[in-house]
Amino acid sequence: MLRSRLAALLGALCLLVPAVPLRAAKIFPYQYVQEDLPNGLRLITIPTDYPNIVSLYIVVGAGSRNEVEPGKTGFAHLFEHLMFRGTAEYPPEKYNATLGNAGAASNAFTTSDFTAYHTTFSKEDLPIILSMEADRFQHLEYPEAAFKTETRAVLGEYNKNSANPAQQLREALQSTGFKVHPYSHTTMGFLKDVEAMPEGYGYSKEFFSRYYRPEYTTIIVAGDVDAKKVRSLVDERWGAWKRGTYKAQIPVEPPQDGPRRNHVDWPTETLPLISVAWRGPAYADDTVETAALDAISRLGFDQNSPLYQKLVVEDQKVASIGADSPGNVDPEFFQVFARVKDAKDLPAVEEQVKAAAQLFLDKPVDAAKLETLKQHMRYEFALQLDNSEAIAATAAQFVALRRTPETMNRYYDEFAKLTPADIQRVAKKYLIEKNLTVVTLTTKAGGAK
Amino acid sequence: MKRVAGMAIGFVLACVLGFAQDGLPDLPGKAVTMRACTACHGAEMWSSAHRSGDDWDRTITAMVEKGLTINDADYAAVLDYLTKALGPEKRVNGAPAPGPAPAPPLAAAEPKLVELPGKSPLVTIRLVFTTGAASDPSGKPGLASLTAQMLGNSGTKALTYKQVTDAFYPMAAGIQVYSDKEMTTFVGETHVDNLDKFYGIMRDAILNPGWRNEDFTRVKDNQLNALKVSLRGNNDEELGKEVLYNLIYAGHPYGHEDLGAVSALQKMTVADLQAFAKEHYTQANLIIGLAGGYPAGFAARVKKDFAALPAGPADKFELPQPQAIPHNEATIVEKDTRSVAWSLGYPINLKRGDPDFAALLVVQSWLGQHRESGRELYERMREIRGLNYGDYAYIEYFPRGMFQFEPDPNLARHQQIFQIWIRPVEPPNAVFALRLAMFELDKLVKHGITQADFERTRSFLSKYVNILTKTKSSELGYAIDSAYYGMPEYNSWLKAALAKLTLDDVNNAVKKYLHSDRVVIAGVAKDAAGLKSAVTSAAATPIHYNSAKPQDVMDEDKIVEVWPLGLKADDVKIVPVNSVFEN
Repeated sequence: MLRSRLAALLGALCLLVPAVPLRAAKIFPYQYVQEDLPNGLRLITIPTDYPNIVSLYIVVGAGSRNEVEPGKTGFAHLFEHLMFRGTAEYPPEKYNATLGNAGAASNAFTTSDFTAYHTTFSKEDLPIILSMEADRFQHLEYPEAAFKTETRAVLGEYNKNSANPAQQLREALQSTGFKVHPYSHTTMGFLKDVEAMPEGYGYSKEFFSRYYRPEYTTIIVAGDVDAKKVRSLVDERWGAWKRGTYKAQIPVEPPQDGPRRNHVDWPTETLPLISVAWRGPAYADDTVETAALDAISRLGFDQNSPLYQKLVVEDQKVASIGADSPGNVDPEFFQVFARVKDAKDLPAVEEQVKAAAQLFLDKPVDAAKLETLKQHMRYEFALQLDNSEAIAATAAQFVALRRTPETMNRYYDEFAKLTPADIQRVAKKYLIEKNLTVVTLTTKAGGAK
Repeated sequence: MKRVAGMAIGFVLACVLGFAQDGLPDLPGKAVTMRACTACHGAEMWSSAHRSGDDWDRTITAMVEKGLTINDADYAAVLDYLTKALGPEKRVNGAPAPGPAPAPPLAAAEPKLVELPGKSPLVTIRLVFTTGAASDPSGKPGLASLTAQMLGNSGTKALTYKQVTDAFYPMAAGIQVYSDKEMTTFVGETHVDNLDKFYGIMRDAILNPGWRNEDFTRVKDNQLNALKVSLRGNNDEELGKEVLYNLIYAGHPYGHEDLGAVSALQKMTVADLQAFAKEHYTQANLIIGLAGGYPAGFAARVKKDFAALPAGPADKFELPQPQAIPHNEATIVEKDTRSVAWSLGYPINLKRGDPDFAALLVVQSWLGQHRESGRELYERMREIRGLNYGDYAYIEYFPRGMFQFEPDPNLARHQQIFQIWIRPVEPPNAVFALRLAMFELDKLVKHGITQADFERTRSFLSKYVNILTKTKSSELGYAIDSAYYGMPEYNSWLKAALAKLTLDDVNNAVKKYLHSDRVVIAGVAKDAAGLKSAVTSAAATPIHYNSAKPQDVMDEDKIVEVWPLGLKADDVKIVPVNSVFEN
């Protein structure tokens, strides 16, 4: 769960976590303070033992999942861009100059479930950064001309992503597997909607007034900080923010009624790609379902799994393979993704992936292997938290799901309790034919080799 | 949950011996320290702290920013006193206290050791061999890289590859391998619980490799796919950047892709790799880097183990000056793709540690700090005109920039280029974007930067350097690079160099190193022929907007749309994508 996204976010994992025994009761080793302001804004402060640096993550509970109107896909992501277009008090030049003086690394990203704005800087600059962020969340102002210009930067982002066939495969998978729920599009949105964005100025204002509200927002401050001081700064700068009224109505995807397929023709040389996916459940930290699928993704498809060893190491017909288990607000895919060396092997690879999944339905997994995996999970988590920014980023991923870091502890507790019988039961519920969607991508006939 | 001794690191325990009444040891520099550090606050603010020299340096810098006035001599004396009197605590097990590693002597034909011991239960091992693509034998481009990938991703004599991955799995550990022109890096990270077992395998991967044929086939296939599919097929931006480097260094030891060439890789054998390893994986080429909470004696053990490698020789990179670029030239890679990616640049005679490095770093950061908004190129190209996703500038090699915000350490090179990266542009605006970048470069060369820009950028870089070294692993990587470049610890060195800079230094560096002619341009585009005729023609290439622009922007556009690119038909080459990195 969350693995590929986290890895992409955090990049290569490096080192330095606190001196906590790995068998400690809770996986998240930091004592954090979680508080709600009267307006509904939530503040989570995580003092760490990494000196000097502070990392601020502001998580807004709106992502491409919230793009419910037709023709408006990609707006959550566009909005992430617009947030850098300034306010009366901090026009973009002043905003950037302030960040520059602070030596801050600042950026933002959008996922299907949330949007995160993050800044990492020296601790003495916390007051000015918190104040400036409060200003743009409450008083964002952008003229239509600036809006239109930003839509072109977003098209530029679509363009740079479009050179990657894995992105196109993902688009096809989502649109094939989901017909009603907004997970049918990626965070970039459909190309036709991205091209039409310049006409959406009014809608962008609407989007802001719906979701950029305290009750949708959580502030995470991790690093060399004092929780009381952070609270008083946040009270002072964010206390006047007005609560909103909008409640998102997200369409519910009906249960899938049978297997689906799709194919993408790619114009230039690439390795053939395949995605074998089953509709899974929504993230849960109070049942073993999410943990069980996460375990299957690893036991079945990680580097030391029998399938990986066969396809990648022994037969060498596949360049890479891996699985991603669902960990979203709403039900998402359990997905196995492979880069195959020769298109003629695609059908066989598909069958072997399905057979590997079927094994989890047929018999309980080896208990010793499950114990090894549990050990792996705890070390993997510990190795991730090697600096304040990584701690804030990890917390943000989970906070986006349940609005509290405690969900990390609950989730890993579920994982610790997992039995072979649980895994078999969950596999039987989800990894079945009627939930299946398969998408392939190959160089189109006559395309460049 | 019990957290954590950590918050108290360095702030609680008192030292044991030699204390005066105030609890502070009587060492040289005490008087000046008491004077400087009690002017604004009491000594109790810091007298029980314990920090490394580097951390004290950061603390004093922070105080200067808060208003402390101190001359250079006193600064040094205070830093020296605090480091000695209030250095990091001795570790319980008697291992050396954490602190900046002294630059190791680089002459000896035995492995150099760079250590950053600490209290963390995590341990990073960085084994850097100062060899790489610049040492690829003639006719075998990619051999250094393939050798490294083979060692890092295969079985050992004792264990098959499957046994290696099975052993690593419960530890969630692994070996990361990457190589460049002058350095080949193996990084291992593990919890200290697993250090013995992990290190044993990592050591054997290099000292006792399995050299199995099945591993070789798989690793070679991966490398061919990295070249053909990941780079040439799926990443137009990185492709453009790599093509630029290869154009600039044509005929030079840097002049081929690190990953190699398709035809050469296909012919390589295990024997080639073994010969390369024997010649270049020597003690004289090895820098051993260790960081984190490894036990006492561990460093000595690693060093002793790696004494099994041949003693020498060390790679000697004889690097000629890259060939002169008489006038602008361009190469367009023809590929069926949605948009146009540009990279442009030229060699600069400057590397990290040189006297002008900090000055040119300021210029680069002002022009296009990687993935940060508000810099000149980003502002003029993306924010005002919406041309693309971003535009940045570089004075050091920074691969994989589309995937990461901070550069990897251990990509040290003795020769660098100045580079501008223009992210993909919609084809109708492609030539305008190129002209605008050239126009901006010309403006910089003619006018330099302003005092306000200089001060803001200097302030940014002085603090941003802390972010570059935010993990122990990256701090260790930078320390290894510093040892290789023969310079002091990067973080404090850069801060000190920035502190001394003036606007004149910066603008003199612009004049000395940058120019807006004699530029090499690399593009990736579908309609290469159309692009070629547009870039070689004097006809205007106006930008297409979807919204009204301020008059000053419209006026500037009139200049930019006909900005001379100085390219004649003979100066522009078109190459089909499938021929790139082929031979």
